[in-house]
Amino acid sequence: MQEATLSFKARAKEALADPTLKIAIDRTTGTAERKRAVAMTQFPQFEAARERGKRIKDHVIANLDHYLLEFERNAIASGAKVHWARTAEEASQIVVRLCKEAGAKRVTRVKSMLGEEIGLPHALDEAGIERVETDLAEHIVQLGGDRPSHIVWPSMHRTREQVSEMFKRLHRAPHQEETIEAMVDSARRELRDKFLTADVSISGANFLLADTGATCTVTNEGNAELTTTPPRVHIVTAGIEKLVPSMGHAIAMLRLLVRSATGADVTQYTTFHCGPKQTGDRDGPEEFHIVLVDNGRTRMLREGMKDMLRCIRCGACMNHCVVFRQLGGHVYGGTYPGPMGAVLTPMFDGLEQSRDLPHACTMNGKCQEVCPVAIPLPTLLRGWRDRSWREGLEPTAVRFGLGIHTFVASRPRLYRLGTAIAVRVMRLFNRGGLVKGMPGLGAWTAYREFPAPAKRTFMEMYKDQEKGQ
Amino acid sequence: MSARDTILNAIRGGLGNTEIHPMAVRREADALLQGLPSIRPPLLEDGLVDAFIARVTSPKVAATAERIASASELPAAVGRYLEARGLPAVVALQPAAPLQDLDWSGFELHDEVAPDETIAIGVARWGIAETGSLVFHSGADTPILANFLPLHHLVMVRADTILPFLDDYAAATAGQRPPRNVNIVTGASGTTDIEGSLVLGAHGPRFLHVVIVGTPDSSE
Ligand code: SF4
Repeated sequence: MQEATLSFKARAKEALADPTLKIAIDRTTGTAERKRAVAMTQFPQFEAARERGKRIKDHVIANLDHYLLEFERNAIASGAKVHWARTAEEASQIVVRLCKEAGAKRVTRVKSMLGEEIGLPHALDEAGIERVETDLAEHIVQLGGDRPSHIVWPSMHRTREQVSEMFKRLHRAPHQEETIEAMVDSARRELRDKFLTADVSISGANFLLADTGATCTVTNEGNAELTTTPPRVHIVTAGIEKLVPSMGHAIAMLRLLVRSATGADVTQYTTFHCGPKQTGDRDGPEEFHIVLVDNGRTRMLREGMKDMLRCIRCGACMNHCVVFRQLGGHVYGGTYPGPMGAVLTPMFDGLEQSRDLPHACTMNGKCQEVCPVAIPLPTLLRGWRDRSWREGLEPTAVRFGLGIHTFVASRPRLYRLGTAIAVRVMRLFNRGGLVKGMPGLGAWTAYREFPAPAKRTFMEMYKDQEKGQ
Repeated sequence: MSARDTILNAIRGGLGNTEIHPMAVRREADALLQGLPSIRPPLLEDGLVDAFIARVTSPKVAATAERIASASELPAAVGRYLEARGLPAVVALQPAAPLQDLDWSGFELHDEVAPDETIAIGVARWGIAETGSLVFHSGADTPILANFLPLHHLVMVRADTILPFLDDYAAATAGQRPPRNVNIVTGASGTTDIEGSLVLGAHGPRFLHVVIVGTPDSSE
């Protein structure tokens, strides 16, 4: 969070001026968007599956204490040790203590957003424990000494040229050929012995299974299993909202998660980890710890953000966000970027620090449309805007603008009329699908193009549909 | 108050302190899986084995597959695979009876998988037609690292263990004590972390070859 001191505007300006950043973002998010669209056509019942997924998560949240206790009971029965952490600091302290108790000099880590959220990389570095990131993207982030910029592709902000330069400088036996294949190979060589010589491994969990006490990780590289099998101790950190009742429910959620994230049907490796090494097992850790982390989640429950607890961290909302695709993830300043980050960061870092984020949104509704658990992201963002205004955090100019926004937004007919007018004005400037040189957009369209609005707004189409057209 | 109690209390408070009836929760959870079959992705072919193979060899999974009539033909199939790629007949063999009982004369075998192992042969407990996946359970005859260290991974799976959907695997094992690890493996290891372009052989195997033995109703 070292960049949190810079204002959002200043960071956005830097991002807009960076000529390679836009190229890097487009290469990844463009592919993700295309592949997801194809996956949707191959799964005609996706909408129904999505509705089911939403209900599964809502059911878990509505019975969260029940499921946490069931999970704890079964995890302990499998031989795991369960720890609870109220805050990010508490969670990091538990992990560092467990590492120290294990006499760990080197730990290997499987990328997990929760680990980033609780500041685990930093806490391990502070404690003087060698930390090896094994996910290729996190490895790139670690070599570059910066921060993840996307929750699925943390090194999305790097071009291949930049990665190549870093690997050549920092790997023991770097690639000779300038291909992505050769670079991946270089990382494979670099990390192999580290997997096998670590004392402790740390992973996150995509799901926690209440009925068995198992944790589930999904990766494409296979780094999770290579990371968590050899060391004597495996520590899992997971948010308390990650529960599902059983493996059947996890599978229903996996179908949504992977398609929304990468467009694949499943990741190459889906692994359920249940307890430590069992009698007779050929390999596996002697100790298995699970740290259950609150860090604001119970507050979200209390403060009207229950919907956000459904989030399965797929990244679809950012891949489809016009603001994210122009600016990338770093400008959001928090652990989580894009629309979901703009909702979560004010919760974690305080609204005063991050009140710009809920404004970094065009309210085009695309994020909610692609969210596999139907989180009303625009509504939640509007909630922050209103709260920021109520708490007097907005400077006068914004207060004036927002005042109009609130006035109009609270009058649905006016609001629709307003957006309809804006959209129509933009259509006038539409040149081959992209808006260029539109007055009022200034620097934005000087460097980049603004996607032209759809021929008809979503509300227009929706009304037609309701009329049975 | 312990962190555990603080969190649980905060949840109860946040949920309005309503009473939870475990049986009712259970019924609701079960109901959420009812009718799932109607909202699953379609299989690619009618027959289970065909559907499985079509998925395994689809561009998304990008593995290779072949069928043999009986397990005794596996060593010959492995021999052909190695020869086609100019690889020596030195293989790590999973210490599982269905593999170890076969006639491997002409091969140099070992059961510990080295960090830079070229090729390992394994046997999966189940195949999944929906996704083209292979399912492994850790155990005395299944070291987990064997699925991840080698460059080439050759996996045998019996046709009569191919299940239509992932849920069928969940149903087949429901109520049993889970192994330490369940690995659901779908294709070779890959990464899209550099500019979103897919490269195989990230940390795990670069090549996955699946050998399907028998027919769905052969109990070989
Ligand atoms: S908010 Fe929805 S789309 Fe965004 S990461 Fe979470 S689940 Fe995915």
